[in-house]
Amino acid sequence: MIAASLNAALGRAGLLLLLAASVFGAFAVLYGIRQRNPKLLKQGPIYAWLGFGGALLACVMMQRALITRDFSLAYIQQVGSADTPALYNFAAMWSSLEGSILLWVAVLAGFTGAVAWRFRKRTNDVLVGWALIVMFVISACFAMLSFGPADPFAAGAPGVTSGPGPNPLLQNHILVLFHPPILYLGYVGFAVPFAFAIAALVTGRLGEGWLLETRRWALFSWAFLTIGILLGGWWSYEVLGWSGVWAWDPVENASLLPWLTGTAYIHSVLVQERRGMLRVWNLSLLVATFALTILGTFLTRSGVINSVHAFGDGPVGPWLLTYFAITVAVSLALIAWRGDRLRSPGTIDSPISREGAFLANNVIFTVFAFVVLLGTVFPLLVEALQDRQTVVGAPYFDRLSTPIGLVLLFLMGVAPVLPWRKASTELLRDRLFWPAWIGAGALVVAVAVGATGWAPLVAFGLGGFAAGAALRQIVLATRRQGWRGFVGRTNGGMVVHLGVIVIGIALAASNSFTHSATLTLTQNEPVEWGGHTFELVSVDERINDAGSERVVAANVLLDDRQEYRPAVTTYLNIGQDVGTPSVRTGFTKDVYLTLGQGVAPGDTEATIRVFIKPMILWLWIGGAMMAIGTLLAAFPSGRKRNPLDPVSAPIGADQPSMQPSAEPATPAVPPGATEPAPEPETVQVRTT
Amino acid sequence: MNTKSLNRRLKGWMGWLALIFVVAAALTIGIASTTGPQTPEERIDAISKRVACPVCDGESVFESQNSASIAIRNQVGDLVAENDLGDDQIVAFIETRYGAQVLLVPRASGFDALVWVLPAVALVCGVAGLAVAFRRWRVQADGTLDPTDDDRALVEAALRDQRGSADTK
Amino acid sequence: MTDVIDHDPGADPETAAASRRSVAPWIALAIAVVMIGLVVVLIGATSDGDNVAESPLIGRPAPEATGQLADGTAFDLSRRKGSWVVLNFFTADCVPCIREHPDLIEFNEQQQALGADGAELYSVVVNDTPEDVEAFFDERGGDWPVVYSEFDNFPVAFGVAQVPETWIIDPSGVVQLRFISEVTAEQLNVTLQQFREQYG
Repeated sequence: MIAASLNAALGRAGLLLLLAASVFGAFAVLYGIRQRNPKLLKQGPIYAWLGFGGALLACVMMQRALITRDFSLAYIQQVGSADTPALYNFAAMWSSLEGSILLWVAVLAGFTGAVAWRFRKRTNDVLVGWALIVMFVISACFAMLSFGPADPFAAGAPGVTSGPGPNPLLQNHILVLFHPPILYLGYVGFAVPFAFAIAALVTGRLGEGWLLETRRWALFSWAFLTIGILLGGWWSYEVLGWSGVWAWDPVENASLLPWLTGTAYIHSVLVQERRGMLRVWNLSLLVATFALTILGTFLTRSGVINSVHAFGDGPVGPWLLTYFAITVAVSLALIAWRGDRLRSPGTIDSPISREGAFLANNVIFTVFAFVVLLGTVFPLLVEALQDRQTVVGAPYFDRLSTPIGLVLLFLMGVAPVLPWRKASTELLRDRLFWPAWIGAGALVVAVAVGATGWAPLVAFGLGGFAAGAALRQIVLATRRQGWRGFVGRTNGGMVVHLGVIVIGIALAASNSFTHSATLTLTQNEPVEWGGHTFELVSVDERINDAGSERVVAANVLLDDRQEYRPAVTTYLNIGQDVGTPSVRTGFTKDVYLTLGQGVAPGDTEATIRVFIKPMILWLWIGGAMMAIGTLLAAFPSGRKRNPLDPVSAPIGADQPSMQPSAEPATPAVPPGATEPAPEPETVQVRTT
Repeated sequence: MNTKSLNRRLKGWMGWLALIFVVAAALTIGIASTTGPQTPEERIDAISKRVACPVCDGESVFESQNSASIAIRNQVGDLVAENDLGDDQIVAFIETRYGAQVLLVPRASGFDALVWVLPAVALVCGVAGLAVAFRRWRVQADGTLDPTDDDRALVEAALRDQRGSADTK
Repeated sequence: MTDVIDHDPGADPETAAASRRSVAPWIALAIAVVMIGLVVVLIGATSDGDNVAESPLIGRPAPEATGQLADGTAFDLSRRKGSWVVLNFFTADCVPCIREHPDLIEFNEQQQALGADGAELYSVVVNDTPEDVEAFFDERGGDWPVVYSEFDNFPVAFGVAQVPETWIIDPSGVVQLRFISEVTAEQLNVTLQQFREQYG
């Protein structure tokens, strides 16, 4: 038999199809560009869709193997189990190394197909051609990974008829269904702007054309990455039982790194769109974002750095490291070759201006990314140079990220009121007055409700300040434009800012003002602590139908109102205990209960751990605001100023948008047009 | 009209002075009333957040649920209950048992100091780079105040190009 | 005129050319050097599959550690000097502990066959109850002593990270070796034999 089963045969065929389509697609488009052969170029998208079809087939076959419990596959032996509920069985596809690479490959193939679809009528454009080539090359690289060292369809040891099922932590919360795919959409999505950036470098089409093409791609990838990271925090809070959302674990850092450079990019790109400057810098940020996703995958998937989330030693390490090296080498070579031609002639007049604020933002975000990267790889450095073990843990990151976060909050307060080019102190005094008072008000309220400590207080004050600035923008915009004051990049961006501020304040509050205690409860004897009463009603045990899980839970009556069930689940197949917290969520604070080890059903005494954590709910509310804000920001906000027009040109005069092939001139400003447009409702490439 | 002038008057130096006063007062009250951990559990938490679980690379003993961490947490609880040693001494005691790799906060001496110094260096480089860039831009911009006729011609040409390409489309 | 205006660099070719001498290749080169360093470090950072682990205690006298045996008598490690001591730290419900148990039984029998030269094997309980541990030994066999300690002082003294761990202590009370995760009877016997020869 060639393959272990039908699933394996068809799954591998799908992966092979993707690999072949990517390789042929890349050569076809390359040859087409060389020969100026439009027919060949037209084939590009077809290869992309073929490849996507192949990836889809592989995923369907993996799902089929999971559903039919095809234990002839090594992967199913590893993560499959007869008693896993259907939903978690579905999610088991990405619960271990090979499957998660398969998901990555499928998302990548999907993005390649989507790029091909979006630009299917512009295959003659060399920029699109090169972008497709880059996407094909990335697809081929990851398809090779999935086809070779991380083969999800490899045959397993013969005679195995059952498996342990996925890691217990990955089968007791609904979020495992959403967190990885959404995170991957964000990770992989940045491949699209990266591909266009490389295409711009290769073709020498160094203007703003490629940038406008990929604006929304970058924005949506960023949003998915944001949501993915937040969902990861939520999962950690609901499942891991240590009552926190973020542990600065290497895997978490690996997802944060591209987010930081990506956030820097979506800010500094505005300067390029508006003023034609910072071209090399923006390209570098995109390259960094993409390279960091690869590096993060390497760090967490190769066993180099261990972590609770990591999938341990995989054979994929050397491959991913090679991809990282190639990405960096090729990008650096291209930038070295083209960089000087990219440099723009414009100047930024004053640090006290919108541009200046974006630059400051970029410096801070880059330093932040550097800190996170340094802390993550520092143990490896020490091991390599001094041959000893060290850990750089959460306290280090907390200590350094606090001042960085505060500076960012401050910038969020100042930047939105700054005009482009130059601001006078008078104007600042006028525009910052009310935001500053909102900040002072937030500070006073915080002190009044009993907040202490300088860092959280400064965070609350600056948070209020930044929120005031964002609200000012939204209020002014809605007054002028009605409901349209909520859409468009600037206004949507302010909604995103509000979400970030809410998250920042919630983090400051929950990190600084958590109280906890260990309570020993005796049946029917209420214990009072922290303004709440806790009463043990009973300890019971439930074993699931398949006999694979035993849940020992304490029924705890909280404040004489409702019962909560902190539990310890024992996965009998694996012999692993997993504590499951039980949380009462509230707008001001959460009460988080976990059950101590060693409790048996029928006990009249139980030890529970109680955490009272303020404002946790607002983390998720802030995340939702960020998501909504991103949607609003991506929404076309009515009439547009053509980016190539002088600032004084009438907005949205019925002009077609720029041809991507036109090398845009730096927007020059005729005399008398020095007053910047009121708000940067800048650019919008016309959709075909 | 009336509200406008009131708004303007508020935004004068009086308004800002009042703001500074309010902020300073609130910060002073808030920082002055700062207290340390309150319950022994919170002290245990604070200490166990500084100690790495010896097997889970990166997770603190506070987060980790495995038996080694539970053992260390018990030991910390024991020492806190005895109330002889300060937080730093307890961490030092754990270090003598498990080695320096259980310290979650790298030391600020020797090679490990790099992990603290390099971020500061990066920040200084970034800010210095910005300052240099702004200086260069100012020097560049100082030479030219008005757009020359050449500039206008360029703009015209660019606009013409663009319209031309639009027409042919 | 206060507002400054974008200007075309072409208007000022000399200064423009001067300030625009190729910078990008140099910056790229600098970043490339850093990146090569990073990649080299990452290539070097391979994880080893060995189960012999480091500990600050190796080569040093074993820490003060006391506990109780199952029958309640005190157990003091410092009084075991004179013979090789093998400590196996375990928990009754840990799967690798269950898996290595038959090897420990085999190892114990082989050592007892050596008479007075044989190593003493002790199982040290990490965070578990006497009932569970007794059930464990009843079910799986093995009759060597089991050490309990209050607040897990014993395992903490050794810095035990992960059950199972197996430590070898020489007759002068110096820690010689630490295994993390499962051990086999053969592995234990061979290492112990090597140590005996070195020890003379």
